[in-house]
Amino acid sequence: MDIQLLIPGVIFGLSIGSIFFLMAIGLSLCFGLMRIISLDQLLYYSIGAYITYSLTLATGDVWLGILGGCGVAGVAALGVERLIFRRIYERELTFSMITSFGILIGGVGVIKYFWGVVPRPVPIPMMIQLDIAGTEVPVYRLIVIAIAGLVYGGIWLFLNRTIIGKAIRAGIENVEHVEGLGINVARLFTITFVIAGALSGLAGGLHAPLIMVEPSMGLEVLAFVFMVVIIGGLGSIKGTLVSAFIVGQVISLGSLIYAPLAQMAPFAIMLLILLIKPTGLYGSALLKR
Amino acid sequence: MMNAIRWWWGLLLAFSLLAASRAFLPLPFVNEVVIFSIYTMGCSFLLGRVGFISFGQPAYLAAGAYGTAFYLFYFGTDPYVGILVGILSGLAVSGIVGPLFVRLRSDYFALVNLALAVIFYYLMQKVLADITKGDNGLWFLTRMSSTPVLDISTPSHFFVFAFLVALAVWAFYKYLDDSIFGACCLATKINEDKLEFLGYSNYRVRLLAFIIANTTTALAGALYAVYLGFVSPEITSPHRAPDPVVVTILGGTGTLYGPLVGAFAYTGMKDVISKLIGNWELFIGFLLVFIMLAGEKGIWGTLQPRLEKLFSGRKDRTAAGDGAEARR
Repeated sequence: MDIQLLIPGVIFGLSIGSIFFLMAIGLSLCFGLMRIISLDQLLYYSIGAYITYSLTLATGDVWLGILGGCGVAGVAALGVERLIFRRIYERELTFSMITSFGILIGGVGVIKYFWGVVPRPVPIPMMIQLDIAGTEVPVYRLIVIAIAGLVYGGIWLFLNRTIIGKAIRAGIENVEHVEGLGINVARLFTITFVIAGALSGLAGGLHAPLIMVEPSMGLEVLAFVFMVVIIGGLGSIKGTLVSAFIVGQVISLGSLIYAPLAQMAPFAIMLLILLIKPTGLYGSALLKR
Repeated sequence: MMNAIRWWWGLLLAFSLLAASRAFLPLPFVNEVVIFSIYTMGCSFLLGRVGFISFGQPAYLAAGAYGTAFYLFYFGTDPYVGILVGILSGLAVSGIVGPLFVRLRSDYFALVNLALAVIFYYLMQKVLADITKGDNGLWFLTRMSSTPVLDISTPSHFFVFAFLVALAVWAFYKYLDDSIFGACCLATKINEDKLEFLGYSNYRVRLLAFIIANTTTALAGALYAVYLGFVSPEITSPHRAPDPVVVTILGGTGTLYGPLVGAFAYTGMKDVISKLIGNWELFIGFLLVFIMLAGEKGIWGTLQPRLEKLFSGRKDRTAAGDGAEARR
């Protein structure tokens, strides 16, 4: 394969991986702390994308739209957490999976109600191309990668340097002990869930200019995001980063080799990894409360 | 003799109600309900009995449907043989992936199955496009020869056939529920360590349950193929993956008649609501959330205890108790 194709391919894979990473990080945190599988993160992703579209249309500034999408997604996550997830934290894992799927489907219905079913385009905020080793690379994709890197750094600092972050990490180890120390676990859960929702919204906003915004966009990435979480191991941030990188590259480089492979190869790899190591790359042994 | 009547009467009552509904509901609707309820039965058995939630049922549905389609499109013309081929291919697929999948934890199991459905989707849509005709699908409605006695290439006869198949499937699952194997399935869901102590292998119980459930799903796929007369990759689309799970929960997880009630309610709602507001996701989604928050019992799960109370007033207590236990 010649380098002219390889460099854009790698950049493309990295940017796709970055977007998957932003969504998967929320899922992973939710699973680690609250022991829920929150399929509705895909809804906040769609909300982020749609708010980006609407704000861009109103103000003409895509970056403002992405910021707004991130915020609105966080607010939506807060509402859902207060109304629904509050009641089901104690239940089994599959229970939260089914309930959150209901939220996702219902949310898609709400989106259809407000914005209709027609796919909407969002302009790319930076059309400049950067010259790397003789090939043109769109700057916007580089910015997406940089933002994902910043978010990873921010999350790392948050979890390791702040009290709330340390409480979340302790909660991932053992929630009862954290509660015993007098920390308000319910608030911890809310904070984690809102962070997860806002990051999903950010992912949606960043992804919007690269694809068409449509109601079922969440369902389309659902399988890939879950694959990222599963390959990395549920509950591990580092694993999520590594597997997002792997999945992004497999999709991008796989499609360079043989087009239909792009959609299928990641799943084949996931099956392979799960059969060799059933808890994912960085997942600890059976995480059961 | 009395025992036999007691064992059968619930089944016969349910299915005579279904047969009666044929009189005043359109034929495509009842056909859809019968096939969908068989489809859901496999998922309900996995979820309610063995504790496996699967978001990948379309994969096994497609195994059955494409097995039938390949036979009817390339080799033969007899739809009965086609259905048999579909069942066998479902058996083969679940027999191959089963030993790998049933070792996984429930949440991973759900997602690995989803992955299998996606793989099947792209396999049928792109990779094997030469054989499967890609998105256009295989059309073999006119290739099917009419069969003597029950000509299942016509919709009205097909209903009779699908109805009988469904009755057989239900009788089979009712028998499973009463058998030691059914008890083992429940035990592996509730307390796998205890089952191990009793000398049973969790792995074997789960594998057998997995194969039984997914062969049932493949049977539904084969029926779909014969009924519609064509098969396209749409049947295994990941977007459709949650349908059986939704219907299972809507009807009442793990109950015998849940899938039937659920399929009826779901198909009906989809029909009516999509005509009224054209936005049925909104409705289905929030209905699902509501059912889960209201105690995840589903329609039949809520109705059943009340009906039993109603009947136990008339029948003698032990018989009703027996029936309740058998049907649980």
